[in-house]
Amino acid sequence: MASPPPSPLTSPLATSAPDLPKSAPPVPILPSQLARIYSFLHPAALLSVYAARFPALVADPVSEMAQQLPILAVAHVVYAMICLPPAGSDVSLSAPTSPAATASGSATATGTATPTGNVILRPGKVGRRRTRDSAAGGASAWGAKVAPALLSLTLTTLLATPTLAILLILFGAPFTTHHVQTLLCAAHMAILSSTGLIYVHGVDGPVWKEVWGCKRPGDAVWGGALGTAVGAWLGAVPIPLDWDRPWQAYPITLLTGAYLGFVGGTMLGRSVLFGKRVRFDEGEESRNKVD
Amino acid sequence: MAILSGSWAIIIANVLTPLAVLVFSSGFFPYKPLIPGLATFENDSNITAVPKAFDKVIFMVVDALRSDFVYSNNSGFLFTQSLIRSGAALPFTAHASSPTVTMPRLKAITTGSIPSFLDVILNIAESDTSSTLAYQDTWLAQLKARGEHLVMYGDDTWLKLFPGMFERADGTTSFFVSDFSEVDNNVTRHVPNELLRDDWSALIMHYLGLDHIGHKAGPQSPYMVTKQNEMDSIVNNIYTSMEQEEHLQSTLFVLCGDHGMNDAGNHGGSSVGETSPALLFISPRFQALKTPRQSPTDSHGDFQYYRTVEQTDITATLAGLLGFPMPLNSLGVFIPELLDIWKLSSQRIHLLLSNSRQLLRKLKETFPNHSFEPHSNSINCETESSPDVYMAECAWVQVNHLLFNSGGDDQDDIYPELEFALFRFLKIAQKIMSSAASDYNLRDLLLGLVITFFVVLLSFPATYTLLSKSGHAGTFFALSILSYGGMMFASSYVEEEQQFWNWAFTAWAFYLHVKTSIHPRCYTFSQHGLRNCHRLYVLVLSRYGAVMLLLSHRVLRRWNQTGQKFAANPDIARTLLPSHQLIFWSFVALTYVDTCKHLSNRCLSRLWQLSCVTVTAGAFLLKLSYVASDSPELLPETIFVPLRKVLDGGSLIIFTRLVFGGIFFLVPLSIYTSKTPQRPLAMGGNTVFHDALTLFLITQSRATNIPIFLIFRLHADILASMTLTALELAITTLLVQYMTFFAFGGSNSISSVDLSNAYNGIGNYSVVLVGILTFVSNWAGPIWWVSAAQVLRFEQAQHERKAHIAIVTFHMAATLMSVMAACTILRAHLFIWTVFSPKYLYALAWTIVNHLTVNLLGEVLCTLLPRGQLKQ
Repeated sequence: MASPPPSPLTSPLATSAPDLPKSAPPVPILPSQLARIYSFLHPAALLSVYAARFPALVADPVSEMAQQLPILAVAHVVYAMICLPPAGSDVSLSAPTSPAATASGSATATGTATPTGNVILRPGKVGRRRTRDSAAGGASAWGAKVAPALLSLTLTTLLATPTLAILLILFGAPFTTHHVQTLLCAAHMAILSSTGLIYVHGVDGPVWKEVWGCKRPGDAVWGGALGTAVGAWLGAVPIPLDWDRPWQAYPITLLTGAYLGFVGGTMLGRSVLFGKRVRFDEGEESRNKVD
Repeated sequence: MAILSGSWAIIIANVLTPLAVLVFSSGFFPYKPLIPGLATFENDSNITAVPKAFDKVIFMVVDALRSDFVYSNNSGFLFTQSLIRSGAALPFTAHASSPTVTMPRLKAITTGSIPSFLDVILNIAESDTSSTLAYQDTWLAQLKARGEHLVMYGDDTWLKLFPGMFERADGTTSFFVSDFSEVDNNVTRHVPNELLRDDWSALIMHYLGLDHIGHKAGPQSPYMVTKQNEMDSIVNNIYTSMEQEEHLQSTLFVLCGDHGMNDAGNHGGSSVGETSPALLFISPRFQALKTPRQSPTDSHGDFQYYRTVEQTDITATLAGLLGFPMPLNSLGVFIPELLDIWKLSSQRIHLLLSNSRQLLRKLKETFPNHSFEPHSNSINCETESSPDVYMAECAWVQVNHLLFNSGGDDQDDIYPELEFALFRFLKIAQKIMSSAASDYNLRDLLLGLVITFFVVLLSFPATYTLLSKSGHAGTFFALSILSYGGMMFASSYVEEEQQFWNWAFTAWAFYLHVKTSIHPRCYTFSQHGLRNCHRLYVLVLSRYGAVMLLLSHRVLRRWNQTGQKFAANPDIARTLLPSHQLIFWSFVALTYVDTCKHLSNRCLSRLWQLSCVTVTAGAFLLKLSYVASDSPELLPETIFVPLRKVLDGGSLIIFTRLVFGGIFFLVPLSIYTSKTPQRPLAMGGNTVFHDALTLFLITQSRATNIPIFLIFRLHADILASMTLTALELAITTLLVQYMTFFAFGGSNSISSVDLSNAYNGIGNYSVVLVGILTFVSNWAGPIWWVSAAQVLRFEQAQHERKAHIAIVTFHMAATLMSVMAACTILRAHLFIWTVFSPKYLYALAWTIVNHLTVNLLGEVLCTLLPRGQLKQ
């Protein structure tokens, strides 16, 4: 139902970006009415459910986190399928120009269609053809969404969760104790941050290099991912306080920070910071340039 | 011109800093005037009202005698416990208020007052004599005034506090922490003779060995029970003499600790372990009171055995039992259990009344607006509020009311009620007086704050120019200063400061990762002719440097658990390493080998390499013998027993001096060998200095902390592989200085000051040398990083060095100002003496020693070194 309109061959955004020629452009929310409404509904629902289940989380973090995990995964995949363009589609070209997106679009209109269009998980030439095909019928549009969704769920479980668990420990989570808590917290954070990224970008190497270097242009997906991480980092702040409250126990504040950070990051990424990058310049006079 | 004025501003800022500290300190640690002179009985008739219960007192202080050392199941005090069971010993837990350091505690025990925080500093600067109690009212002075004789053996703090007080005395210095037995034998050898003589009426003993064991090896050390047995046998000897000797028939024996210790064996702070020493009143006559108790017993609450009294109560109780007036400044309350020694109720009431009148005098002095007159009906005594002055007034009115009613006829039934009312008043008065805030000199506090603010202003323009030009790094620096400043106002964040630095460091490592992952630096090291494996190491560092930084930082973070909340959690230094000795010693050996390699690599001269290996091997052997004597649990028995035989006492001091001499000799030697015909490879004066310093710092660190230096090397290599701007380097240096201070086990509590390496190679006590060694062993991490940063910043231009100094100065001034502001604003806070004042003392050390001396002096020295020679 939320199939993207046919994309024109030449993009109005396709200006050259000299510093990162292979970069994928920022991804907007799909233009359909449903996607727009649901993209606000989902974060709101996420926070409401989290707030409602908070007492239960404080009482028994492990079982509550474990119980919420499948629900969160399903909800998040549904959000991605409704609101985000799947990997391989080229909706960014057809999307209405975001007011903030100016020079960050990259040269995606350079490809030409190839006859073997089986690989759908890369953006660009192959995917665009596929999208055009899928525009014919609603059923195949959903088909194009299911594969990235399944892929994103698999990779989130197999790759993102362990990676985030390791990162949590590197950033100070307990190493010898609280293993289940760390793993569950990492799983929640992985769903919040990586599901969207994998759904939209698939296994696109340059994009993931940008993610590794924290160089993605701002959009809802990257904003949400970065927000989750920063939120979890800030979530560690109340732990040392001597208030002796049960919610100060290890994963709870981090998880709260991650949820708040995800919502904040998503909202900022799609609006104010859309298309903007964190820029680090070499040299003595490094400056905070925002594209 | 602008640059010139900029550097002048920084110089003036640094010159003004000590002044600001001085002014603020004089306002923050005010000299508390006490009432001079000796107390006398109010009228002559009272002298006979309460006959004294004892003629003599044997006062035995065992330093750091925590309550559980005597009362628990694992105690070595078996004879003392049998005395408790028989009722001959009345056991208590005596609450010692912070600071739990010997001198202030002795002041509390002898004067009955609560000494000021200033005494902590005076306790460390021991040579000071201004803190003498010669002109204050103490139970010693009261006995002396009666013309009686006092003798004293043990800790020479007593001799400093009471010059000329004792007929016979033999003091031992309390600061040789590594000595477990000599200090105590020096006391014990006098005891049999003194017990035979009857010319004294107070025999004071102060044993230090138990405290030394605590500092060196902790409360769980195998030495601890042995020492407790030794102390118990002394109690046994004294008690036996008291039973047998005619002239000791009317003698009171007091056994007490001056303070306790925490789980690490240190003290000074305000944790339960530190504030709960044992207190026992022993005499065969107490058996008649028929109050035998169970012993050993379990504590109710942490370290609280039997009933908890205040340490200040000792003075008041002694005054009653020995029959002299309550000392003027005492805040003590006579301990109720001992009151039963007087059979007549009237005598008991008289005693409590004189105790109450003395406390009332103190109350009236502190609160001149309150009359405490029985007829003042303006106060409403019905409302039960928190213990404030009104409650005390009400309690006193009630006492007077009862007194007036009983005035006519001696009804015995009024006495229990009166006794109860008197105790109620005494307790309330004591509570009010103990918590009464000391009078700060607000003018000095504000003046100090203003000067520090001026220092911040002076260093601000130069720093601002740098920060505004440098984007995220600048933002990070500004935010970290702001959040640190805010943190200083929250007591738990002050206690858990290490969490902040670890947290900020992870973010900084992430920043470095993002920065370097975009433009990985092509690292060329070819001119040094490196082997393949080394090239791989460099390659990995340049690719995944930040990840390695995070990984090794995670290990470092767990090395020593510190702070308050998580201090007892298992960590690497205290849990993992002692149980895995092979891993531990191979890491220690690896650290020494690595340091030796770095040293000897500088130059190919045979003489140089030989001396490097000799000095390093010597340093390693020295560490081994220190471990053998201090913490044998880290060594297998087959090694440490012969080691201890070889190196004993005096020879260890000479050996230490030889090693120190060798280390310091390396630097001039390197300059000499570099001039010999054999051409040196990449000879750098300051890298040799850095490696020699590393060896010195290793020697001054606890054995379990030595492998940390390997992590430091890795960190330094990672940072060298990144191209960092002057600002980024300065931020990194500051971050790691603070972070490593806490990684070595430091915290913002006085009790975490590590004295175990403060006497290395010192024969006679000297404040300056011990002070320097204490600082070096506690700030080993920061000092290493200042030196490592000098090597990293070796190629920096003049203006970059100036920028570095400006940033470091601004950071110092801003943090100092926030600590001062917190101490000023929160001066009435409950935790001011336990959390904020120690933090201020630490801030002083960071400012005066670490910033002004280590950072700036290092900078000056480095610019003075001939550049041509350094750069080949």
